[in-house]
Amino acid sequence: MVQADQLSRPKLRKRSPRRAGTALGWPATVIFLAPAVIIFAVFVLLPMITAFSYSFFDWQGTARGAFSGIENFFTLFTAEPFKSDLPRALMHNLLLFAGAMVFQNTVGLAIASFLYKRKRFKKLFQTLYTLPYLVSPLVIGYLWTLLLSPLFGPVNALLKAIGLGELAQPWLGQPSTALWVIVLVTAWQWLGFPILLYGAALGGIPEELTEAASLDGATAWQRFRSITLPLLTSAIGTVSILTFIGSMEALALPYAMGGSTGSPAGATDVLSLMFYRTAFESGASNAIGVSSALATMMFIFIFGVALAFTSIIRRRERKLS
Amino acid sequence: MKVRPRHLIAALALAMLPLTACAPGSSSPAADKAAGTNASGCTSPETLKVWSWRPEDVAAYKKIFTSYEEKNCVKVDFQAFKNTEYNQILSTGLTGSNGPDVVQARAYGALQPLIVGGNLTDITGKVEGLDGMDKTIVTGAQGKADGKTYGVPFATQTMQVFYNKKIFKDEGVEVPTSWDDFIKVNEKIQGSGMTPLAVGAKDAWMMPFIHDIFGSAEYGGKDFRDGVQTGKKTFTDAKYVSSIQNLKDLQGFMPKDVVGASYTDAQVLFTNEQAAMFPGGSFELGFFQKQNPELDLGVFQVPVRSTSASQQPVSAAYADGNWAINAKSPKQEASLKLLQWMASKEFGQHVVDDLKQFSPVAGVTFNDPVMKEIWDLYQKSPAPYTLLVDFRYGTPSGTDLMGSGVQELFLGSKDAAGVAQKVQDGVSQWFKPTS
Amino acid sequence: MSLLTEKKPAAGVPVPQSKRPGPARRKGAAGRFAVSGFLWVYAVIAVAPLLVMVVSSLRTTREMARNPLALPLNPNFASYSKAWVEASFGTFFVNSLLVTVGSVLISTIVSLMAAYVLARSKSRVTGIIEAVFLSGLMLPVYLAILPVFYLLDSMGLVDNKFGLIMVYAALSIPFSVFVLTSFFRQLPLELEEAARIDGAGSFTMFWHIMLPLVKPAIATVVVFRFVPIWNDFFYPLILMRSKENYTLPVGLTTFFGEYQTDWPTLFAGLVIATIPLVVLFLVATKQIVAGLTAGMSK
Repeated sequence: MVQADQLSRPKLRKRSPRRAGTALGWPATVIFLAPAVIIFAVFVLLPMITAFSYSFFDWQGTARGAFSGIENFFTLFTAEPFKSDLPRALMHNLLLFAGAMVFQNTVGLAIASFLYKRKRFKKLFQTLYTLPYLVSPLVIGYLWTLLLSPLFGPVNALLKAIGLGELAQPWLGQPSTALWVIVLVTAWQWLGFPILLYGAALGGIPEELTEAASLDGATAWQRFRSITLPLLTSAIGTVSILTFIGSMEALALPYAMGGSTGSPAGATDVLSLMFYRTAFESGASNAIGVSSALATMMFIFIFGVALAFTSIIRRRERKLS
Repeated sequence: MKVRPRHLIAALALAMLPLTACAPGSSSPAADKAAGTNASGCTSPETLKVWSWRPEDVAAYKKIFTSYEEKNCVKVDFQAFKNTEYNQILSTGLTGSNGPDVVQARAYGALQPLIVGGNLTDITGKVEGLDGMDKTIVTGAQGKADGKTYGVPFATQTMQVFYNKKIFKDEGVEVPTSWDDFIKVNEKIQGSGMTPLAVGAKDAWMMPFIHDIFGSAEYGGKDFRDGVQTGKKTFTDAKYVSSIQNLKDLQGFMPKDVVGASYTDAQVLFTNEQAAMFPGGSFELGFFQKQNPELDLGVFQVPVRSTSASQQPVSAAYADGNWAINAKSPKQEASLKLLQWMASKEFGQHVVDDLKQFSPVAGVTFNDPVMKEIWDLYQKSPAPYTLLVDFRYGTPSGTDLMGSGVQELFLGSKDAAGVAQKVQDGVSQWFKPTS
Repeated sequence: MSLLTEKKPAAGVPVPQSKRPGPARRKGAAGRFAVSGFLWVYAVIAVAPLLVMVVSSLRTTREMARNPLALPLNPNFASYSKAWVEASFGTFFVNSLLVTVGSVLISTIVSLMAAYVLARSKSRVTGIIEAVFLSGLMLPVYLAILPVFYLLDSMGLVDNKFGLIMVYAALSIPFSVFVLTSFFRQLPLELEEAARIDGAGSFTMFWHIMLPLVKPAIATVVVFRFVPIWNDFFYPLILMRSKENYTLPVGLTTFFGEYQTDWPTLFAGLVIATIPLVVLFLVATKQIVAGLTAGMSK
C-alpha cells in the first residue's frame, strides 16, 4: 500500500551499510515471526495447498477418486460449457480491470489532486467518498439492482422526470450495458481507497519541484505530467496491483447484480462466478476437480501477472532514483 | 446477494457441492442414547437432527414434528439454512463430524453427487409410502446409475398460470380455452394499459420454467420427453422450436425490457395488482396469499393450438426435493422410522395444511380451493418439467442452456431455432439416449 | 501578471481570495469553483444510493412500487423494529463484534511483530517468508472453504467463534504484513541504532520506539481489515451451524431470502448492519489520513 519510501526524497535517505542478516539477531527474529507464520501456515496455507491439490484428482461427488493429472485442466479448455465460457469470462474480468483503472486513474486521481490542497470540507469529502466501501458488496449489488430496475427503480424514474427519458433503459438487462454497470458500481464502491492513497502520495511530493517547474513556465498540466505523475508511480503501481487482483477475483458484486449465471445471457459472467457455478451449483460429479483446477489457474495467472507487473514498477522506480 | 426465491425449486442452486473425501478422520459415532420406551413415558428421547433449506417453514415444521415426537420418543432438532448456500452446508454436514441425521436433499440431477459420493443411505424397498407416489416424482429421489431410491420426496411443484380474477372481470375477459383466445385476452388487457404477463427475465432460472408453462403442451409434454429419452426425438424438432417461439410471441405482453426485470419485480407486479397474470409454480401460492390477502386469484393451464403436439393443456411438474438419511448418521433406525412417517398420509396432510405445499403422498385432501384447483388440473393432465427432471444429470444442464437461451431470444440475439439448437448441442455433450 | 503571481503557496493553506481583478484571477476563481463543483457532484454520486437506501427503509413496498422516487411522507419506522426483533439482529451484532474485533486484534499484533523483522532483515529466509505472505494476497479465498472446514472439524472448532476468529486472523495477515512492512521500511535506521547504543533490547525497541511511529499504519490496517471481515458472509455460513453463533451478514442473507419483496424491512436491516462501520470509519479516518500523509512526507 504505502510505498512511501520511494516517494520521499530518494537522494536524502541514507542507506547505512547493513549487516548481512537481521538487525535483531536470530532468536528474536524467530520469536517475532513465529506467531504469524504458524497461524498463516495452519489456517490458510495448508488448506489452500490442499484445495489446489484437488485439481489433480477425479472426483465422485464428495469422494475423491483416482489421480488424474492435468485432465481437469484439459477439460476446462476442451469441454463445454467451459470451453466457451472461460475465454468470455476472462475477457470480462480484464474489462473490469481496464474500466476500474481508467476510472481510478482519472476521476480518482483528479479528485485526489483537488483534495489534497484543500482545507475546507476535506475530511467530509474523504468520508463521503469512502462510505460506499464500508457497505458489503452484496448489499451494494442488491441495492443497485433495485435502483436500476426498469420497472421500479428510481434511476429510470429520475431520468424520465428530468426529461432524459430516452436514456432510460434496462441497464442490467442488456448485454451492452450490464457489464459496464458493474464496472462503474465497482469503481464507485472502491474509489475512496485510491483517493486516500493518491492523496497521501501527492502530499509527499516536494513543493520545490513543482514550483521550480512553474517558474520555468510549465503549465499545470505539464507540471502534472512530467513531475507529479512519475513520482506517483509507486502509488499507482500499488493501486494497480490491488485493482488487478480484485478485478480478477471479483465475485460479490457480479453475483449480486447478475446472478450466478452472469445474466443477461452470460454478459456479466466472470471467472469467480464460473468457479461458484461449477463448484456449488452443477450436478456434475467431478465438480470439485474441475472447479479447483479453475481456481488454481486463476491463482497462477494472477500471481504471474502481479510478479511481472511488480518488477516493471520496481524497474521504473529505480530509474527515478 | 442476488435474491433467489427461497423455495428455489431446486431449479437452480441444486448442485451438490461435490465435497472432498479428504475428510480429516472419520466422525466418531456419537454415543447412541438408549431410546425410552414408546409405551409408558419416554425417559430419554433420541435426538434426530433434521436439516432443511426452507427457513420460512421453520415454525410450521416445529409444530408438525411435535406430534411425531410425542408418539415416538424422539426429539427433532430442526434447522433450516438459506437456500442458496444450503448445498455447501449440507456437504460439510454429511462429510464432517456431528452431522445431521435426516436432511432435505435436492432432486434429480442435483442429487447424484451425494449418491455417488456415498453420503446417503439406500432406502429402496424400505419405505412403503413411496409406492403410492407419482413415478416422475419418485425418480427425483433415485440414483441415475444404480436406480436405487435414496429419499422420500417431500413436495411436488406444479407449473401453471396464476391470474387475477378481479382484473379479468374488469376487463371483461374469461379464462381462455384456445391459444388464439389466450392471445386475445392478452391484447385486451394490454389495450387498457395494464401489463398482461408478469415475467422477469433477469433471473435466468425462471426461463426454462415459463418455457414449460407456455410450451409443454405445444411440444407434447410427456410423449416428447419419452421420445428424447429413447432417441426418437431431439430438441431441434419443429414442435419444440415452436414451443420456444411461443415465448417470443408473448414477449410483447410482458413488461418492457423484460430481461432487465427481475423475478421479484414480477412478483411485486402481480401482488400489487399491476399485472393480470403470473406464470409460476405452485410454491407461489402461499407467498402471494401472504403478500396480498385481498388478491383474488385463480389458475389455468395454458391452452393449445390446433397444431400443438398435445391437444390437451398440461400442468408440468417435478419433485422439489427429498428427505434423505445421512449415511454417516449413527441413528439409522430412528431416521428410517422418521422417513417412513414422512411418506405417510398424516405427514402429507400436514404438508398441505401447514406448509401449503403439495405433498406427493397419495390420498391427501386440500382445503384451500385454489390449491384444490391446482391439484385437480395437475391430476387431469400432468407432464414432467422435462429439462429439470431429465436434463440436469450432466454439465451443461438443460435448464442452464434454456435459461440463457431464452434471455438471448428476448434480447433478439437468437431466434427460436437457435435456442433449440443451443440446448441440443449442450445436452448432447453428456446425454445418451437409452435406445 | 507573470506566473509568479499564480504560484500557489504552501500546500494546505487555502488560496486567498484575491481582490485583484483581471482575467488571470477570475480564471483562477472560476477554476476553483469548477473544482469545488466537481467534488460536490461526485460526493453526491457517492452517497446518493446510500441515502436512497435509508429513505426507502422508511416507506412501504406498495409506495415504492407505485412511486419509486418519492420521499417518505409518512415515515414508517416499523421496518426497523421488525429487522431488529424478528431477525435477531441483536445477537448477530454481538457475534460480529466479537469475531471481527478478535480477528483484527490477533492479526494486527502478529503482523506487527512479523513486519518489523521482515522490514529490517536482509536474510534470504525472511525474504521468502515475506514473499509467501504477499502471495497470500492473491489467493482466491473462497476456494479453501472445504479444507478449512475439515481442518476446524478435526480441531472441534466448527460452530465455534474461536475457529472463525483464527481463520479470519490468518486471512488478514498478508494484507497487514504488506502495509506494515512498507511503513517499517521507511523508518530511518538511525533511531534503532541510537537505541541500541543506549542498550535497548529488541523488544523494548519494538515496543517503545517503533510501534508509536507506525500508529497511522496500524489504523489503516485495522480499518481495512475490519470492514471486509465484518461484511463477510461466506465463512460464517459454512463454519457456524447454530443461529446463536451467526454473524450479522449471515443473518442478513437469511433475511434477504425471507423478506425479498419486503423492501423497507430489507433496507432497514442493511442500514442497521452498516452503521457500526460508518462510526468506526469516522473515528479512525483522522488517524488514517494523518498517517498516510505523515508517512509520505517523511
